[in-house]
Amino acid sequence: MTIAPPARLEGLPEYVTRRPGGFYRSTNPSTKLAIAALEVVAAFLVPGWPGPIAVLAAVLVTAAAARRLRGLATIGLAASPIVGSILIINLFLLPGASDPIVRLGPLAPTWTGLWFGLQTVARLYAFSAAIALVYLTTEIDDLLADLARRGLGRRAVFVVGAAVQMVPRTIERAAEIVDAQRARGMDTEGRFWRRARGVVPLAAPVVFGALTEVEERTIALEARAFSAPGRQTLLRVPPDRVADRALRWAAVLALVAIVGLRIAGRFG
Amino acid sequence: MDLLKRWAARQFTTRVIVLMPVAIAINIVLGATVQQALKLPIYLDSIGTILVGVLAGPLAGALTGILANLIWGYLLPAPIGTSTIGPFFITAGVIGLLAGIWGQLGLFRPRRGGRASILAASIAVVLVGALALYTYARAYASPDQFVNITGFKTTDFDRSRIFFLAVMVVYVVLVGVALYLRRDVGAVLAIGAGLVTGIVAAIVSAPIAAIVYGGVTGSGTDALVAAFRAGGDSLYQATLKQGLLSDPMDKMITSFVVFFVIGSLSRRFVARFPNGEKAIGANTEAEIGANAASPG
Amino acid sequence: MAIELSAVSYRYAGASRPALQSVELRLEPGRVLGVVGANDSGKTTLCLVASGFAPKVVGGRLDGSVRIDGAETAAIPPHSLAQHCGLLFQNAATQLSNTTSTVFEEVGFGPCNLGLAVPEVIERVWWAMRSVGIEDLAPRDPARLSGGQGQLVALAAVLALRPRYLLLDEPTSELDPAGTALVADALARVAAETGTGIMIVEHKTDVLARIADEVVVLDGGSVAMSGAAAAVLADPRLAKLGVEPPARVRLERAVRTAGLEWSPGLERALA
Repeated sequence: MTIAPPARLEGLPEYVTRRPGGFYRSTNPSTKLAIAALEVVAAFLVPGWPGPIAVLAAVLVTAAAARRLRGLATIGLAASPIVGSILIINLFLLPGASDPIVRLGPLAPTWTGLWFGLQTVARLYAFSAAIALVYLTTEIDDLLADLARRGLGRRAVFVVGAAVQMVPRTIERAAEIVDAQRARGMDTEGRFWRRARGVVPLAAPVVFGALTEVEERTIALEARAFSAPGRQTLLRVPPDRVADRALRWAAVLALVAIVGLRIAGRFG
Repeated sequence: MDLLKRWAARQFTTRVIVLMPVAIAINIVLGATVQQALKLPIYLDSIGTILVGVLAGPLAGALTGILANLIWGYLLPAPIGTSTIGPFFITAGVIGLLAGIWGQLGLFRPRRGGRASILAASIAVVLVGALALYTYARAYASPDQFVNITGFKTTDFDRSRIFFLAVMVVYVVLVGVALYLRRDVGAVLAIGAGLVTGIVAAIVSAPIAAIVYGGVTGSGTDALVAAFRAGGDSLYQATLKQGLLSDPMDKMITSFVVFFVIGSLSRRFVARFPNGEKAIGANTEAEIGANAASPG
Repeated sequence: MAIELSAVSYRYAGASRPALQSVELRLEPGRVLGVVGANDSGKTTLCLVASGFAPKVVGGRLDGSVRIDGAETAAIPPHSLAQHCGLLFQNAATQLSNTTSTVFEEVGFGPCNLGLAVPEVIERVWWAMRSVGIEDLAPRDPARLSGGQGQLVALAAVLALRPRYLLLDEPTSELDPAGTALVADALARVAAETGTGIMIVEHKTDVLARIADEVVVLDGGSVAMSGAAAAVLADPRLAKLGVEPPARVRLERAVRTAGLEWSPGLERALA
């Protein structure tokens, strides 16, 4: 082979090894997962207000320090329909509640209902925020790489990674198909029956288009030695510092403690 | 144990690994658009899960469903990502598991044919109809009987009777359409499997909705839950009823679509999947030869 | 040291007639073999069979013997096949692994799958990218490349496994003339400088006229003609077999039909 090796061969290029910076963003992804798991468990298993409030406080503080408050707010806003539903339903329709705030004809919102509704909402916000924080401070590639380092098989990594990349592409393709169908006169507004008839010409090409690629993709993967035995080499691995590991273990222990306390009925 | 590991490994060939992200993407894209387009509680967000289950087996189907939910709920940004679907990954896993079992039993196999099989189909429908009528007669013989069997309250007697009949009507309509379009008797079994899947899905989802979200999901069906609770139902009963109203329909239609999709794919393509032979009723074992690449 | 097909017949599972019949073929390192034929003449199947991926990954039944460097492909597992034969298809997008965010990692996907040490992976990636000429694409996102660039990345990704043979199935069919030229140049360079044996299926006979040493014509799954590239591509029977001859050949015929002389001077003027 007459191709000469390049001048610098020291290591991986900077665009592969570059780490995200910033508070919490540089924390190891598995640690962040462990913390999120702890927060979700705490929000649900610690009864009453302390659980959700503590978790929400922790998440908000972390998000502020990591400069991700706006992302959190967007996600919180997206949850408003369900929050509204929960509040309204519990306010007016909690069975067995008999301490009305005010009587408005047949409707009687109750204090118990309000209390219960607010608690449910707090729990919902707490657990959603805990998970959202991981999403907002972690690249999916880094998360998958870290899990792969800990033993997650290459096939699982592929499935999750490829699925996340494929969703926007499938949506683009679906949009193209809708446009093409509209150009051919498909009605996307209008009466129900016509819309129902329109579903198949939309869904079918999307499904079939995606499926026909499966064969070629399979061969292409095999042609890249995808089914080779043993562990694959990882080029992009997030660091796992002592602090990350300590934090992770602490979170797991706390999680176990909460579960244990709840089972033992120590939470009153 | 070793047998179990081999059964598991057999379901995850490279081809299946390639299919899964495609199926997950289909789930998410259709789930995000169909309900908006039709404005009905029909999501078709299990199409990919059931497809993988039938073609590849229960484990692959279950995993597809679980991952689809988790990715849709937690790894995709809004507006595609939705905040409420995540905890229902258990339901999605069960749906995939069931689909794998139906696939193993050959319930999604096309059974085309001439007059003889139309006759067989009609007989099958009559039998199923008879079974349904029998269940109906027993459960609804009297209000007390109804309460004993289903655990619901006497006030639900009339309303659920109508709904039961509605479900049967939808079933017959879907089967009829399949028979008309494709003369395919297999639709009877496939859509029946969808009905069972829908019922099980509703039963599994109810406690999740109740515990995590207090019974609401921010969609239009919350009004139904509210109405049920106003009628005095407990949280579990209300969410279960709401689920039973939408899941069987959705899963029957989804199974109908999956059945059609599998029937429309080339035999060559389907045969290379682990459960493919059962899905197309192939006796071309010899021709399929060295089946898809073994897992790494 | 060659890929040898002897009396090879192949039938897809569930197909009524064989896709390949009694094919004899030999691909040697350092040579470029062109394969032409009408649609459905078995060209894609030939690539799959010669690389061993049919029937191993694709199913179906194979009669006859396919040997890569002396070893029967039936006895070689797919990840080893990938290290003997690189396989490239028309659609660059379906050949992406969809798991990487830079071209560097995409090209490294194969070596990483093999579990090679990081320094070796790095060396192979740079070597492959240099062979194809895409070092400046290294930090780019593989999903956002043009068709031609995507094919080059796929080519590099396959080369990173250091196969001795390269089998390409219509790699330029979805590319515009600029992309086609890009890929053809890269292939010519790879053939000249790395000693890889290349088998390229193409409709665009101009590409073959430029880079192929020998050409084989397939018709209905069997070999109808074979020989030196220039001779086969100028053969008058080509059109009847559903293959359009290269532009130069068509031009020469047009000139002769018009009653003019075809001279080297004219050829140079028109080139």
